[in-house]
Amino acid sequence: MSNRIPSALAWTGAGLTLLIAALVPFLLINTFSRAVAHAGLRVDENYTGGVVVRTIAHGNYKTLVYQPVHPHFFQRNQPFVQIAFEPISALPAEVQEKVDLDGDGQPDVLVHFLRPDTAQNAVQGNISALNSRYQSVENANEKSFSKMILRIGNRIVLRVPMNP
Amino acid sequence: MAEEKLTPHTATPFRTVGRSALLTLPMLLWSLLIFTPVLRQHDTAHSLGTLLVILFTNFLFFKMMRTGKTYRWRRYFFVAVGLLFPVGFISSLLALRGSMSIPIERMVSGDTPFCFMVTPMLLIPAALTRTLIFPGAILPTESNPHSIAAMIGLWFAMTLVMGKAWCSYGCFFGGIEEGFASLCKRPHIRKIDSRFRLVPWAVLLLVVLLSAALFEPFYCSWLCPFKAVTEFSAVHSVETAIQTGIFILLFAALVVILPLLTKKRTQCAFFCPFGAFQSLFNKINLFEIRVDRERCVECSACLTACPTMAITPESLREGKTELNCMKCGACVDVCRKGAAVWHLKGTRIGMKPERVRLFFLFGAWALSTMFGGYILSNAIATLIHFLPLR
Repeated sequence: MSNRIPSALAWTGAGLTLLIAALVPFLLINTFSRAVAHAGLRVDENYTGGVVVRTIAHGNYKTLVYQPVHPHFFQRNQPFVQIAFEPISALPAEVQEKVDLDGDGQPDVLVHFLRPDTAQNAVQGNISALNSRYQSVENANEKSFSKMILRIGNRIVLRVPMNP
Repeated sequence: MAEEKLTPHTATPFRTVGRSALLTLPMLLWSLLIFTPVLRQHDTAHSLGTLLVILFTNFLFFKMMRTGKTYRWRRYFFVAVGLLFPVGFISSLLALRGSMSIPIERMVSGDTPFCFMVTPMLLIPAALTRTLIFPGAILPTESNPHSIAAMIGLWFAMTLVMGKAWCSYGCFFGGIEEGFASLCKRPHIRKIDSRFRLVPWAVLLLVVLLSAALFEPFYCSWLCPFKAVTEFSAVHSVETAIQTGIFILLFAALVVILPLLTKKRTQCAFFCPFGAFQSLFNKINLFEIRVDRERCVECSACLTACPTMAITPESLREGKTELNCMKCGACVDVCRKGAAVWHLKGTRIGMKPERVRLFFLFGAWALSTMFGGYILSNAIATLIHFLPLR
């Protein structure tokens, strides 16, 4: 008798496992995916660039300024601020703009780049620091998570490294 | 049913064609149900690929039922998935971005397909900062359907059913080395210290802690052998060149050369941190392999057959397999005395092992053919596209 209960439970469990297997494609994948999606998690700002804190409208196009991103724990990247210009189609052939990154009313960097004609073209440009908190980016082709001038989709994304 | 006539310890259960076909029928209906949307939506190449997959997987399941053997038939499917996964994946990468390397633009825009190998490395950063250290998208997008939430949901659902058997039925990487391990008839290296099987735990601990400290998926950046046949960061610095070199060396050593020499799945057995992580789910899974001590004659055939050294002399004395047993069935198939058996936790060892096997196989095979079937049909469709017939 004492062996029958665990045995019955085991076979019930085996049956339930089969039922779970049958429900996987129709119910469980979506349920678990939704649970992960609604867990309040976010992708590391080092990849996404973080949160937009200010939008500067220029008629047809706009400049988005993001919150500074600081490294977590021993993350090897420098802190940076992301700026984005969008949409590319509305940008002038040459963009030269002073941008206030910290919201104090004073420009912090001078951004200069040429609008790429095709999606394949690399963005030619540079960033000059006007404030000692930020670093200039001279080489437009240099790519790292904290230093970049790139075309991403329908926008030009720039990352300005900050002095630690 | 036929298995009821068998004694629990019969070494080679055997079914008639009719009974085997009857047991295969639910799997056939399942695969038709799962793959009908693909048959309807895609082009001729995909439809043909999917039809071949349905025939292939159901033929293998029929053979499992007919012969009572698991390992050999599972291996055909598993190796096919492992070898064809890079074909479909690499061709889609080439079509999408013209290269196997992933440029920083793609990472920033969240276009990196999520790989389940990253999962254990996400845990500490997610728990401490609610941040996922992977350059993908949480929800599926048009440019990245393999989002983090979708892939974790898929993996977790399959893991609930399979436990560590994911590594022998679901993992599309394991099939590559199993393919190489099966090429030689006899191993050239026979003596392997069984303590090597503890190395994946050390690698798991190392990569989890380093990933949390450096806030990047350390294994993916530095140690994953399968980057050599999937995607890797574009080489634009000395660091990325070294990383790519490490991927290629590890792939050559652990996935090609050592499996050829040892006939073991050396990457899985002695390196893979995700495999170690997956072993933990064997604790909550009801199905396992046990050895009936009364029947065992200690011939060591199961020790030799096990591709991941999950049976050791010590575990054999206790009639158990180690936690890293991936339920491939190799030991059960080679045991002439019927001592190695499929077992349901909570029941007596040797109680209706064939019924336990059926319960396990129906769940595991249904999900592995669903997951691997898409990979296979996609790869077959890619190959058809390259054929000069079209």
